[in-house]
Amino acid sequence: MSPFYLPVGALPNGDSMIHVFPVIVFSNLCVNRELHCQKHHDKHFALTVYIVDTSLSGENILSKKKSTIWSFFSSVRLAIVLLLIIALIAMIGTLFPQREAAAELAGRIPPGLFSFLQKMQIFDLYHSVWFILLMGLLAVNLLICSLNRFPAAWNRFRSSPIPRDPDAFKDLGEENLFYPESDVKKATDAATHLLKKKYHSFKQADEKGSVYLCAQKGRFAHFGVYMVHLSILGFICGAVIGSVSGIDGSVKILEGETISVIGLRNGGKMMPLPFSVRCDKFTLERYKNGAPRIFQSDLTFIKNDRAVRSVKLLVNHPVVFEGFHFYQASYGSVTGKKATLALLRDGGRRDIVNVSAGYTFDLPGKEGIFKVLRVEDNMMQMGPAIKIAVHSEKEAATFWVFRDIDRIRQVIPDVSERVPVFNPGLFRPYTFSLLEIEKKYYTGLQVNRDPGTPVVAAAAVLLISGLMIIIFSYARQIWIRIDQDDGRVRIGIAGRSIKNKVGLKHEVRYLLAQLKDNLENPK
Amino acid sequence: MINTAILSWVTFIYFGAFVFYLFRMILEHPFWGKLASWIAWTGLIAHSVALIIRWKASYDLAIGHVPLSNFYESLIFFAWTIVFLYLLMERQLKNHSIGVFVMPMAFLMMAYASIAPGINNRIEPLIPALQSNWLTSHVLTCFMGYAAFTVTFALGIMFFVRKVVARNSSGVRAFIHLLPSDDQIDDLIYSCAALGFIFLTLGIVTGSVWAHYAWGSYWSWDPKETWSFITWLIYAVMLHVRLMRGWRGVRMAAMAIVGFGCVLFTYLGVNLLPSLHSYLT
Repeated sequence: MSPFYLPVGALPNGDSMIHVFPVIVFSNLCVNRELHCQKHHDKHFALTVYIVDTSLSGENILSKKKSTIWSFFSSVRLAIVLLLIIALIAMIGTLFPQREAAAELAGRIPPGLFSFLQKMQIFDLYHSVWFILLMGLLAVNLLICSLNRFPAAWNRFRSSPIPRDPDAFKDLGEENLFYPESDVKKATDAATHLLKKKYHSFKQADEKGSVYLCAQKGRFAHFGVYMVHLSILGFICGAVIGSVSGIDGSVKILEGETISVIGLRNGGKMMPLPFSVRCDKFTLERYKNGAPRIFQSDLTFIKNDRAVRSVKLLVNHPVVFEGFHFYQASYGSVTGKKATLALLRDGGRRDIVNVSAGYTFDLPGKEGIFKVLRVEDNMMQMGPAIKIAVHSEKEAATFWVFRDIDRIRQVIPDVSERVPVFNPGLFRPYTFSLLEIEKKYYTGLQVNRDPGTPVVAAAAVLLISGLMIIIFSYARQIWIRIDQDDGRVRIGIAGRSIKNKVGLKHEVRYLLAQLKDNLENPK
Repeated sequence: MINTAILSWVTFIYFGAFVFYLFRMILEHPFWGKLASWIAWTGLIAHSVALIIRWKASYDLAIGHVPLSNFYESLIFFAWTIVFLYLLMERQLKNHSIGVFVMPMAFLMMAYASIAPGINNRIEPLIPALQSNWLTSHVLTCFMGYAAFTVTFALGIMFFVRKVVARNSSGVRAFIHLLPSDDQIDDLIYSCAALGFIFLTLGIVTGSVWAHYAWGSYWSWDPKETWSFITWLIYAVMLHVRLMRGWRGVRMAAMAIVGFGCVLFTYLGVNLLPSLHSYLT
């Protein structure tokens, strides 16, 4: 047996030992199970004797018989199984398209299968009953596991001046013992001085003629695990708050337009905002290779017909207005109603007119009037086009004018002859050509409100701190006992550490050497 | 570009280091271990210089950003973190045998970056979503995590190799006695997995913060997010079974390999699925 500590561990399946004597369970980390089982029986005796001394009332704990449900939920095996099932479900979710994307799959698989999968909530797996149920189970498991083990950690944290493990000094090796020439008082003073210098604080107790001194460092390490577990509960809480009272929507605003209603992502419903938003301007800058460099919207928030605030919204720089977060998510363009048209009259005269659908205009030579019937962004996959009707006293003609007529003619050289309505020169002596159709940008905004975010952020901080504590720090407890052995003063040092046993060994040696030095060479 | 030229040389340097680590194991002379270590350090320094040159070059092109923004750069940085982490570990442990298992990983990563078709090694400007200070911290922490898991994986492989060679009594005895003992490997597997777990957690958290600013939601179950979560769960299970259920040896080595499978899928496999993280393709 190690002279430093006794690795009595928690049997994860809710062994009665841990419930009855949480006091002595000082290691729920780093415990070897075989070791535990083997210790179990020879420890049992000593423990029943020892419990009299502890601050926790023995009877009280004994009477609290843990139910089967409690031990089911407090088992680590359940936690592991739950984590694996959650991982599996999450995995399945990445194989099937989720939410909006699922519609695409509908056309490719049999309708029966699709509706079955839909019923099983495979297409919204992360918000499905399955997933929520698993997360709920995990939360309960985590809570009960932690509650079950916390008293032990708390007792370790509080530290008792006399080791709770009665065997701590029993098999102390020679290297941890030292017989000074001085009396008990002097030895105690020297030990007190040393502990004060090295650990800042210590506790002292006298028992049956022995003096016990106890010092501890890194005691907060006992709580690392609970911080991590609490943070997971925090994430789950934050997610629940978010899904219950959060808003996840989006909206597209054309340059110059104002909106006051957003579309919700889930279910496709619309939601009115308590204010309106106007997109004053949309700016897009590109790199040389054509990739977007910056896109931004100049927005104005309007409340009760008054412009309250004007902002520039950029990707990665959201804006908050009345609790709603606005994100620059996307952009796009739509065909406007305006087009620029050139009229070429045989013999030279060229006029340029700005038109829109419904626009009526006299031909420059007063041969008749023409009317713009339609403005199309992409007519029959052949690019932008407008439909024009020309009337004169003698004739009437209706035809399309394509912007890319030259390119179309390269593919179908005789298009004007074969399809007269595609001939821009159908009304003599004019030839129409479409120079450009106006494009209007719209800005795509993501609009969110998630009251769960601060909870999740706090949980994230807690998670990282907890993990850092678990991995990088360790709790170490040192006891110095000064007693009489066959009439000689004896100093013994025992220590306990969950991790870094080698470091503990060095520390005990160092303390003993210091103590020896102080007592043998007093200043 | 000078940086890619240096980086292709670094690939061969890492391969050389691997060969000399292997010499150390087979010829049993400590000289080869020292030489291998020196070569690996030289490679790491050249690698770092290349990264800095690439960084500077991006500023000269007036599109300055850290060299962590596309698939090529991520592979290169992945290899860098693996070698960096390994060499730190080697200094601590004073054991050259692990290099035989880790260096091939770094070499393969570098080789893939320069050979694989369709990998663009040019410095590309950042699209608006990537123009964020969170880019550096997110990518840095994620890849430190990935690297720690890669070393864990190499240790897992080493554990099994040791087991197999030990079983054949006629096997190379020298090879065995230079490797750390089962218990030491087991401790190393745990330490590396724990380190990776911390970094992966940091990576996920920084990613979440960034997503909160860029996409308007700290978590959107995008495949990359989901797979990083799956990886996180697997390593959480790995740490729990060790600490709470006393798993050791073979089981931990197997977990190290399974975990690395998840890491690889998070890093590469996810590109086969539609994703918001599609910057890599």
